[in-house]
Amino acid sequence: MDIFQLIQSNLLTPIILFFLFGIIAARIKSDLKIPEAISEFLPIYLLAAIGLHGGIEMRKTGFEEMLVPMLVAIGLSLLFTLNHYQILRRLGKFNIFDSYALASTYGAVGAVTFSVGLSFLKNQGVTSEGYLAAILAVLEPVAFILAIFLTNMAVSKQIRTKKQSFSDNEKSDIDIGMKETKTKLSQVLKESITGKAIVILLGSIVIGYIIGKEGFEPISIVFDELFTGAIVIFMIEMGIIAGQRLEDIKKVGIFLTSFAIIMPTFNGIIGVLVSTALGLSLGGAVMFGLLLASASFIAAPAVLRHAIPQANPSLYITSALGITFPYNIIVLLPIMFTVSSLVHGEEAIDLFNYVTRVFI
Amino acid sequence: MKLYNVKLLTITCEILAQKNVIDILKNHDITGYTTYEVEGNGAKGLRGQGFKNEKNVKVEIIMREDKLSDVIEDVSRTLFPDFAIILYVSDVGVVRTEKF
Repeated sequence: MDIFQLIQSNLLTPIILFFLFGIIAARIKSDLKIPEAISEFLPIYLLAAIGLHGGIEMRKTGFEEMLVPMLVAIGLSLLFTLNHYQILRRLGKFNIFDSYALASTYGAVGAVTFSVGLSFLKNQGVTSEGYLAAILAVLEPVAFILAIFLTNMAVSKQIRTKKQSFSDNEKSDIDIGMKETKTKLSQVLKESITGKAIVILLGSIVIGYIIGKEGFEPISIVFDELFTGAIVIFMIEMGIIAGQRLEDIKKVGIFLTSFAIIMPTFNGIIGVLVSTALGLSLGGAVMFGLLLASASFIAAPAVLRHAIPQANPSLYITSALGITFPYNIIVLLPIMFTVSSLVHGEEAIDLFNYVTRVFI
Repeated sequence: MKLYNVKLLTITCEILAQKNVIDILKNHDITGYTTYEVEGNGAKGLRGQGFKNEKNVKVEIIMREDKLSDVIEDVSRTLFPDFAIILYVSDVGVVRTEKF
């Protein structure tokens, strides 16, 4: 199947249509709004569903299988974060704080994007490895920790060179810098591990692992069949928020706009190829690629606003939510699916069948 | 009934700065405060739409005058450059001054 056809039929799925609808609603200044409690509840629900599903799958496959892909994912995430930083700092001429904040936003993972990816695969009738949910959990803090560590090192180095002209008491300054870095890092680590996203995800993985397929049966109506519907409701909210930020995209600039499209494409395709080489399935490779392609927009502001307050939040939120997220779910998912199908030597499955079945 | 004069410090800031504000209060041995989520418009644009992270919060602290300037200095020094934040002080009267 042609890649453009796949993108086109992806555009006509309820998830994407409701996202675009949300954008339009925001543009015409409608007072349409998903109640706050629901839009806070939905990410928790989605993560619980992802976790349960992952845990059940992991019971079948065991833990050994996920070790290598997980380590590779962490390695790639770190490598990409460093790569983003170099590009943003050297080519984009962003200041050090914005560069690290953006680099880690794009090195981190997006749970909402992950959910959309899962239901995209469901539409295609393709499954993915359950342990990817565990990789999602582990990958969440990795890029932030690296960026915060490097930012603090750079800042304490700057302070040190400035102070050196006044005093020779060099060691104490390094000590102070190191100490501050350590407290900040342990705080970030603690906060992200005890943060609601990772807690609900890991908790659900464990529960899914314990209950297995039979135990899941009675709750499957909520956590399996309602999954795509719940994403659709959340997509209205995401569309509204993205639509409200549409003006800010002009402020983001051409460089960051192209960065927000080119980097995910590059990272995602590398992810698909590497995971295929590691032996992941067709769907698994797409999800692995999506993990590396996605940018964080719910967790990132909460972490970065504390750890790198100097960075301009509207840069990383707008580019991740306003540009990368729509691009990833509309265009990049079909591209990665096609690439994965090619390297897996299979014909892409016709998404259009699903659409016609639903709408006609 | 006699009212005693104390100060009310009101800080309106982005919700992600709330923890920093409360940490500063803690450093000055102030444990009592009231917070509520608010929305509004200002130099950083309309705030309070979208994600909960982008809401504003209003922190009210009643304190004696002797601690006031130190707290304000800490807040100004550490939070003014990077956060959307407004701070003001008013005179209020309380009945039980020993609580503050």
